[in-house]
Amino acid sequence: MDALSRLVRLSLARERKGAFFSAFGVAMGVGALVFFLGLGLGVGRVIREKIFPTDARLVDVVPSAVSLGSLLGGGKLDAATVERLAALPGVEATYRKMNVRVPAVTRYDGVFFGARLRMGMEVLAVGVEPGLVKDDVKLGEFKDPSEGQPIPALVSTRLLELYNKTFAPARKLPQLSANMIVGFGFPVEFNRSYVAATTGGPTGAAQTQVVGASDRAMLAGITIPLETAVRINRQAGVDAETFTGVTLVASDPSRVPAIVDAVKGMGLEIDDQERRMAENTGAAVALVTSALALLSILICILAAVNIAHALSASVRARAKEIGVMQAVGASRADVRGIVLAEAAVVGLFGGAAGTALALLMAFGVNRLAVSQLPNFPFKPDSFFSFPWPVVVGGVLLGLVAALAGAYFPARRAAATDPARTLAG
Amino acid sequence: MIRARDIVKEYVDGDGTKVRVLDGMSLDVQDGDFVAVVGPSGSGKSTLLHLLGGLDVHYQGEVEVGGVKLRGLDDKALARFRNTHVGFVFQSFHLIPNLSALENVLLPSHFGASREDARKRAEAMLERVGLGAKKDRAPVRLSGGERQRVAIARALFTGPKLLLCDEPTGNLDAATGDGVIQLFKELHREGLTVLAVTHEDRMSAAARRVLRLKEGRLVEERADLHLATRGAP
Repeated sequence: MDALSRLVRLSLARERKGAFFSAFGVAMGVGALVFFLGLGLGVGRVIREKIFPTDARLVDVVPSAVSLGSLLGGGKLDAATVERLAALPGVEATYRKMNVRVPAVTRYDGVFFGARLRMGMEVLAVGVEPGLVKDDVKLGEFKDPSEGQPIPALVSTRLLELYNKTFAPARKLPQLSANMIVGFGFPVEFNRSYVAATTGGPTGAAQTQVVGASDRAMLAGITIPLETAVRINRQAGVDAETFTGVTLVASDPSRVPAIVDAVKGMGLEIDDQERRMAENTGAAVALVTSALALLSILICILAAVNIAHALSASVRARAKEIGVMQAVGASRADVRGIVLAEAAVVGLFGGAAGTALALLMAFGVNRLAVSQLPNFPFKPDSFFSFPWPVVVGGVLLGLVAALAGAYFPARRAAATDPARTLAG
Repeated sequence: MIRARDIVKEYVDGDGTKVRVLDGMSLDVQDGDFVAVVGPSGSGKSTLLHLLGGLDVHYQGEVEVGGVKLRGLDDKALARFRNTHVGFVFQSFHLIPNLSALENVLLPSHFGASREDARKRAEAMLERVGLGAKKDRAPVRLSGGERQRVAIARALFTGPKLLLCDEPTGNLDAATGDGVIQLFKELHREGLTVLAVTHEDRMSAAARRVLRLKEGRLVEERADLHLATRGAP
């Protein structure tokens, strides 16, 4: 094997210019593919995990916008309907939600994490059952507080990100982490608005305390305990019986489609706006990634064609050598193996070099992004993701491209007629 | 050692004409014989050599070498036959330029010959042909005679019983050619069967038997008869 590998090595050394360009072509194709795949996977991960975090087991049920309602026994999300939803096959748990159906405002005038802040704004609020957000509550219990105690509130992690990357820099306010805001209190007046008419009922002033940040919290507002929302609505004399939505937890993601069908059969709708946005954005990223990957694969195919040309020329030039090998005992399979081994070395080298180049470029792009790009919302630490199958696959693709290119030259070499080439 | 019967070999030339190079030829060579095959160009000498050595299997008739019938052997078996039963020596030496003399001799070991002590055996073989001191030289740094000796060492590496030589002195000057012929004589005396295709009187003079091929047939066979006339075809 030593001398045979030396034969391969020497042959490559003799044809080093051609071998280098062959490997270079493979490296370009593989490098581009690994780079774009890494970029697509990285951006996709940001979309999935940061911008539109979705849980495959959750189904958000909302009342139908257009419904025949009680005529068909559907459309309204009351306690009875929730019970029916809970009884659907594959539903492991249900979490009810109710919007605070009166307007609310906050007026803040004080020190906000070391900076003076004076502002007033409209506040939206939704009440959810504690089980839905229990993992995100970092302070106290998520329940309707007793008299004089602050209302526990969760804010959206995405809202926090938007605040940090846009609002805070514009207003010269401090940037905040999820842990920093826990315990922060601010006043809220329910049934009061700067812009809309109120129900005319009594105004309720309350203190609100942030108890955590959650992906499941309302994006543009605060998320409070369900009982609190029910109480506020009841005190304001608005609907405190029907729910704004119900989140169903499927026992397994595979059960979701059947649950969705059953829910729709009940005259209710699925609020899959976020999921669809995630899917659409993900699909757009996948499409662009696929197009770039296709381009990269085309480069690999061109590299394979180049290898085919180079090896064909090499095989023609070495016909006598091949004849000699056959004369001393090389079978057609041996000859084929030698040519394929040469291609394999080129492919592995090209694949490894291309993959390394892609990783290096990704590192460089990330460094540039950190230093040069503005700090926009959801800006990731890395725009790339290189799971090991992508890295190993890159190297293997180089090998496969080279072997594919070497297929016909290897066959031609194996078909060398030693009697003819050695004559004379 | 060699038994060939009713060999017919045809090929189609550039004009599309079918040419019969061997036309029902038969041949017997005993173990330990030294045979020179002479004849004019195109008489089928090299073709005969290729058939006997298993380099060409497209013919009619039957060839048996060392008890092995070549027809019907698959490519792998044929390759093994070439590796173990015969050694080839060519007019143009056909050494692989990238490899040293020693690596050229070792070449058959990569294709089935025993790898045990291969390097030692290859070195011994180079010593045997007087090139032990030049084992690491590339072919380009060897003289024509030395290259042919390396080729002979390579042919002998696997210990074949039959040496097939195609104009082995054709590219050598007289003195160098004599040295190579002397080597063949020694190998013959040691029991090796040698069959050489040649135009050279000196080579055929060294042989015990001379076979003359003309128009694809064995038209003359003489034992222990040296061609007397220099320049004879």
